[in-house]
Amino acid sequence: MAEILAERYTGASIKRSEDPRILTGHGRYVDDIKLPAMLHAAFVRSPIAHARVTGIDVSAARELPGVVAVYTGADIESMTVPGPDLMASMMGGGNPIPEFTLLATDKVRLVGDPVAVVVAESRYIAEDACELVEVDYDDLPPVASAEVALDPGSTPIFANLGDNIAAPRKRKDFGELEEVFASADRVAEFRIDVHRHQNVPMEGRGCVAVFDGESGLLTIHAATQSVHITRMAVATRLGIEPDKVRVLSGDIGGSFGLKIGASREELAVAAAARGLSRPVKWIEDRGENLMTSGQAREESFDVRAAVSNDGELLALDVKMVIDTGSYPAMGGMVPGIIEAMLPGPYKMQALGFESVGVVTNKAPYVAYRGPWASETFVRERILDLLAKDLGVEPLDIRLRNVAERSDPPASMVTGRPLVGVTTKESLERVAQLVDIPAFRRRQADERARGRHLGLGIATFIEAAPGPRSPESGQGLMGMERMRLRLDDDGVVTLFTGQMPHGQSHQTTLAQIAADEFGVPFEQVRVVVGDTDVVPFGMTGGSRSATMTGGVALHGARQLKAKVLDFASHLMEASVDDLDITDGRVEVRGDPSSAIAVAEVARQAASGQSGDDVDGNLEVEASYDGGEGGWSGGTHAAIVEVDVETGLVKIERYVVAEDCGALINPAIVEGQIRGGVAQGIGAVLLERSAYDEDGNFQSATFMDYLLPTACDIPRIEIEHLETVPLDADVNFRGVGEGGMIVAPPTLVNAIEDALSPFGVRIYEQHLPPARILELIDAAG
Amino acid sequence: MEISLNVNGAQRSASTEPRKTLADFLRDDLELTGTHVGCEHGVCGACTVILDGRAVRSCLLLAVQAAGSEVTTIEGLALDGEMNPLQQSLWDSHSFQCGFCTPGFVMQATAFLADHPDAGEQEIREALSGNICRCTGYQSIIDGVLRGAERMRQS
Repeated sequence: MAEILAERYTGASIKRSEDPRILTGHGRYVDDIKLPAMLHAAFVRSPIAHARVTGIDVSAARELPGVVAVYTGADIESMTVPGPDLMASMMGGGNPIPEFTLLATDKVRLVGDPVAVVVAESRYIAEDACELVEVDYDDLPPVASAEVALDPGSTPIFANLGDNIAAPRKRKDFGELEEVFASADRVAEFRIDVHRHQNVPMEGRGCVAVFDGESGLLTIHAATQSVHITRMAVATRLGIEPDKVRVLSGDIGGSFGLKIGASREELAVAAAARGLSRPVKWIEDRGENLMTSGQAREESFDVRAAVSNDGELLALDVKMVIDTGSYPAMGGMVPGIIEAMLPGPYKMQALGFESVGVVTNKAPYVAYRGPWASETFVRERILDLLAKDLGVEPLDIRLRNVAERSDPPASMVTGRPLVGVTTKESLERVAQLVDIPAFRRRQADERARGRHLGLGIATFIEAAPGPRSPESGQGLMGMERMRLRLDDDGVVTLFTGQMPHGQSHQTTLAQIAADEFGVPFEQVRVVVGDTDVVPFGMTGGSRSATMTGGVALHGARQLKAKVLDFASHLMEASVDDLDITDGRVEVRGDPSSAIAVAEVARQAASGQSGDDVDGNLEVEASYDGGEGGWSGGTHAAIVEVDVETGLVKIERYVVAEDCGALINPAIVEGQIRGGVAQGIGAVLLERSAYDEDGNFQSATFMDYLLPTACDIPRIEIEHLETVPLDADVNFRGVGEGGMIVAPPTLVNAIEDALSPFGVRIYEQHLPPARILELIDAAG
Repeated sequence: MEISLNVNGAQRSASTEPRKTLADFLRDDLELTGTHVGCEHGVCGACTVILDGRAVRSCLLLAVQAAGSEVTTIEGLALDGEMNPLQQSLWDSHSFQCGFCTPGFVMQATAFLADHPDAGEQEIREALSGNICRCTGYQSIIDGVLRGAERMRQS
């Protein structure tokens, strides 16, 4: 890691500036907004997975005292612009894009599909009125699995698709695939399944929409990962100019990929607020959140692996099926990322990749922390299965295949250069930390006593932001913009399109800007969440460490140059002799010359400096990611499996990671631990379950189990020395890695523990009952 | 119906529907929005408040059931505008991320430490296992509560 000077904020675990409001109950979340004359919305939802809507009667609901309006799907269509849905096309939905309405009109496509919205004086009354809406349904055959959806005889969920294929089958080969397979010593075949699970932020979706009939301005108080993307979605579907939509966002109670754009419900609420000219609030309840907001990861992989007898993984040939659920969201773009990332940090010679995406009567497939994570699960699971076949230590097959750093760097067979990757170092470090030979001795001793311990190791890399493209020279994440201003109270204000929802940008961006500009940390203000003042941007894809950290650094440098230029006139000194330290401009070596930056800003604001001096102490900065680079790391878990009950206890969890230079180690470690906890939950507890009729089985927290403080162990983290690639910015993203690599780490450990039974695991969800089944089936 | 109760040391009276939950009453009628509603079925613990010395789920109680009681919410913990030792310790420990579950954890820990000032890590984990945090993996929260307990013992 780059050396951090003690007097710098960057690199230190500075206490978060978000915390005083959060710890005292003064955060401002969307449900905390209370406006005069505000109404409350509740949705009537389908109890059936797939049906025609043959009639709807809202008359009794309309008559309930306190009800202001009841809108059916047809009503909302008449108040909005028809699709196709902007978000679906942005997120790479299939071609053609499924056609649907905001609220269901002719048919419902999942349990929980909204068919009408009630707007009332209170949420209690709105929910009462929902019970009074009569909807007639004519059942259609449910499409509750990918197998059914792939059957050409299945009932199309979207008429304009003609079948249930959302993303048509496509195939791409990299390298000399058939030749490599033909000459391989061994070919192994596997079918690997990843189950459906979901984001479950503690705060669900919600919004408050306010329409001002005088100005025609629609204001949306949203919980969103990007106020600008939400504005685009609202403006498009409501048929108004984007400059007539203002989106505001305050504190957000988590998202993990869920809250992007505007949901169908939020768009309907915006339409209702415009129709009624009164503020309307909608806050989804937990049942709605689990049932309808979005789910992820239901994918299957048929894999052939070409391997040499000494453990070289030569090639993979993968056929993927993704269940994108009902309404299109992100499912269409996931296979492309999985294809690109499947080789990981390994030097395989060829890859064949085929994918098909289907629609089913389930909640939409949304982004969830590391949306492409299954590439790591598949690869790291297969490596363990191959190691068992070959009788080698799982660590050794990884070391056998990992690409060494070289100049020029090796590239993935899918194209991206593995520049600066420290996978080998992280594998070796984790092996030291867990002391594999000592563990194997203990494992054997304990087995003799009837205890079943297992060690699992898995490694990953993440393009956060990724290397520059070898062809175009461009970064993978486009541009990041920021506006920076020195205010006349001496505060440096950063306007960013990032929309933090737990990532602590208010702290980390201030650390970087304070160091680069030369003011105390407390003298930097970070402004987010207002389309009127922040540039375009979004929080997601682990982009903000590099992209926003980078634009904060370069922007603060530009602003400093501008301030010094102005100060040089004011102080009648050469700009080359000036610097800013601790909030004061001074001639180097002459502290008596110092002027507070606030005073410089006041002089500039006075406008009395003459025309030839630029007194506008504001800059617009942009950043392309610089030299970029990879994040990555290796995780290890030691588990004990109780073979009588199927219960898995995690005895130890170790991380050796490289996310570049750390901005704030405590915040980095919080991201890693939080991601690992979600990965542990995915394996041991969480599943978005449907029965064969498409009935949702996990609509409460008694059915959808989340990990608690007793389920998550202490997580030991070691930060590796990174390979700096850029002269200035070597921060890399860390938000998703824990969730990407924890599931294979844990499953590998469980399989290792069960190896005396000959258990082989080809799936990710391993609650106690399933572990007992696996032991029984193997025995 | 009209109810009267003591909230954060002040006597409050308000009219409420009998069916209104204590959580909604605190948030809507008393405008104490620090108490968060995360699941409305008593599992996640985000809505935890202290009622007559006990940590309770305000989403599972009706406001009328709290009539005549003493209720403490997250807004009632700071001392003269300064965070109390537990809050300071949670800040020092980078305990939370998005902050939505935070009020429930802080109230649950406050009630638990009042009865178990010498609690160790495992007891604290168990005491907080009825509160769900989706961001942190819990370690930073446990560390913050341990640090807070230490600080409270010293003061």
